[in-house]
Amino acid sequence: MAQEITMLHDVARCSACRACMVACKQWHDLPADMSTSFEGQYQSHKDLTSHTWNLIQMQERIDSKGRFHWDFFKKQCMHCGDPACLNGCPEEAIEKKPSGAVVINEDKCVGCGYCTTNCPFGIPKVDADRNKSTKCDLCFDRIEQGMQPSCAKTCTADAILFGTREEMLQKAEERLRMVKADHPDANIYNPQGVGGVHMMYVLPEKPAVYGLPETPATPSSISIWKDFVRPVGQLASVGAIAGVLGLTALTAMRRKGDK
Amino acid sequence: MLVNKKYVKRHAKGFVYLHWINAICFFMLFLTALPLYADTFRFLYDMFGAKTLQNAHRFFAVLFVLNPVIGLFTARGGIWRMFSEVFKFNGKDVTFLVKFPLELIGKHPEGIPKQGFYNGGERMNIALQLATWAALVVSGALLWFGDGLIDNSIRAWMIPIHSLCAGIGFAGSIGHIYLALVANPDSVHGMQDGTIKVDYASAHHGEWIDDMVREGKIRQKDLDEVLKP
Repeated sequence: MAQEITMLHDVARCSACRACMVACKQWHDLPADMSTSFEGQYQSHKDLTSHTWNLIQMQERIDSKGRFHWDFFKKQCMHCGDPACLNGCPEEAIEKKPSGAVVINEDKCVGCGYCTTNCPFGIPKVDADRNKSTKCDLCFDRIEQGMQPSCAKTCTADAILFGTREEMLQKAEERLRMVKADHPDANIYNPQGVGGVHMMYVLPEKPAVYGLPETPATPSSISIWKDFVRPVGQLASVGAIAGVLGLTALTAMRRKGDK
Repeated sequence: MLVNKKYVKRHAKGFVYLHWINAICFFMLFLTALPLYADTFRFLYDMFGAKTLQNAHRFFAVLFVLNPVIGLFTARGGIWRMFSEVFKFNGKDVTFLVKFPLELIGKHPEGIPKQGFYNGGERMNIALQLATWAALVVSGALLWFGDGLIDNSIRAWMIPIHSLCAGIGFAGSIGHIYLALVANPDSVHGMQDGTIKVDYASAHHGEWIDDMVREGKIRQKDLDEVLKP
């Protein structure tokens, strides 16, 4: 399926059943992740880890009118249109599939963590044991076989939707209209600073409520590093060595002449 | 206070160790990160394993930071002198730098004003190395520990800053090594047992030698004896 696709999380519909988390672990054969100790909270894991690529964040919130809210948010790779992780990878180990899925090639990855640093959402996590960077791959292998990502397939609340980009953009508008009456700040999260995302959200509240940056952007530091610092640094280093060797020869000749 | 009637003490032992540990750490840090800097060196990852080199990079990074901290106890005098001299940039340094290029081919050009403990070129190199050290340490620490502490929009800038400083520091150090080993081979003695030849010191650091004489640390008679043609 070479068509551009998108996944949509309708936050207002999510019941935080976490079936999507289980489906993700099952499909990717990810082991249990005991990194967050149980302290009586509903939050299963503190954050994404190298073994947890899809996380339902649960947050208790009291709004300005004193009303209690329970916010659920599906945290995972955004599959940006202009992915910072891919652009900044020194090993060219990250690929953007025609479907829009941004996928790490573990054979090429050296675990340097530059993708973690460059990602405006801080999504990729380096597996310390295997020294490989990890994140959601949007089940690109399933997509290529005409199937849905495992999380979308398993969602019973109709909160995770999957389809072509056009379908999902349309669906997002529909869902937004439905929640707008009760949630005046509701919005579609599809930031253009990162080239749009293939993991889109209908958020009942402003992005900051869910810990999302309002206007994330693919950092310009990446192109400065790749197109300027690296070549100039290489040139300066090789130039310094070549210059010094030339000067050494000149000095030797001059000293020989002096004798 | 001449040593063996031929040498003058320039650096304390502690400062010599500080210099060499810093040099080894810098080159090991450069080498262990080289595959990320230039694809030509990818073979280092294949040879030693990416994880081994990344762990070695962290090991030498810790040493790189600890070394001057320990130096505050073992090389206090040298560090103090370095900081107090590095910011003294004056007209004499400008003249020095104009005439300095001839030094690059081992000549000692006429009309160079007498230089102090550090000459204008050394002061520039020290300033460069101090600045790159600080920038490398801060950017490296934020890359290593900054996840969750500062926003990635700022943290992402640490990658080009870290790389740029490594490149500048490396190019500077190549020039430094050349001047010490080829152009002025007598100067490297100062980083072996801490002493340099009096005639070299008098030619390259005349103002410092004058100060030593004035302070009574070197007797004029002894100096004249050594410098006698």
